[in-house]
Amino acid sequence: MFFIDDMLLRSLGITLPGLDMIWTIEQIQKFALKGLYDPEKIKNQIKETRLLYEFGELDRKEYEQKNSDLMDKLDMAMRIEEMNLNSKVDILG
Amino acid sequence: MVNMIKRAERNVPDSTAKYVYCVIPCPTERKSFGSLGFDAGEVYTLDYKDLAPVVSDVTYRDYAANEEEVVVHRNVVEQIMLEHSVIPVAFGMAFKTRKLLQIAMSAGYLAMQKAEQVVDGKVELGVKVFLPKDQAEMESARREECSSDFLQHLLAVSGDWKKLKLFSDRLVLNSAFLVDKSAIDEFSLRIGMLTEKYDMLKVQYSGPWPAYNFVDIHILGGKRRGFR
Repeated sequence: MFFIDDMLLRSLGITLPGLDMIWTIEQIQKFALKGLYDPEKIKNQIKETRLLYEFGELDRKEYEQKNSDLMDKLDMAMRIEEMNLNSKVDILG
Repeated sequence: MVNMIKRAERNVPDSTAKYVYCVIPCPTERKSFGSLGFDAGEVYTLDYKDLAPVVSDVTYRDYAANEEEVVVHRNVVEQIMLEHSVIPVAFGMAFKTRKLLQIAMSAGYLAMQKAEQVVDGKVELGVKVFLPKDQAEMESARREECSSDFLQHLLAVSGDWKKLKLFSDRLVLNSAFLVDKSAIDEFSLRIGMLTEKYDMLKVQYSGPWPAYNFVDIHILGGKRRGFR
């Protein structure tokens, strides 16, 4: 019910931050995306993985797999940042 | 003219892209370091006033910071460091033409001159102190004490140092030290002594490197894919 109310209000160009359920979902999504695809955090993980390999806590195969996954994740994070997917564009004017 | 990058006596068109590995004080004549460069290209010096960019001819492209390519860049610089003080250049600096390299040298000349004084006769040594897996929860006072002890002993034989980012929760210390070449042995002795003292910790001692953390010259804007 709330959701439908929100949709109706949005169609009129009205949002109520904090009370608007769509707004709340967007905030949660934004927060999750930021945590998961924070380029700085991923870069730190890449450096840490390298160090673990150099200290012998990861073998070559584990290191290469983990590093490759992190590089892909970093690539994705950079794309998200470039496309600025986190910012909302109000198309209703 | 001294202030022009002279074309070396070779049959390479001006339009050939140049990959720059580092900059050194200008040797008296063009110097070749052998075919160590990307695609086994010859690494040689050009000259700009009293400085010499060390380059190889390459096909212009973006350089991915993957391990193989970084190793090529690093090996070249290590080779040059055996004979010269090196002003480091970031990985991936390729210029479409010699003319563009000349413009970059012109823009960064004063900063590079200052940097040359900083790096003259010195190298960078890196030290990381890392907690073992089973002691990852070391209390902060103990971490601080250990970090201070390392710094106190190592700063006594260093010209300068930089605190680097602790990119892992298990890092106790991550620092770069600018050390006179003549003091490397003493620095290494101290590292050995500290490693014995803190034998429960993992210590990574690396170098000698070019003084990457002590020279910070930005030419032609910060974007790596600028007009190059």
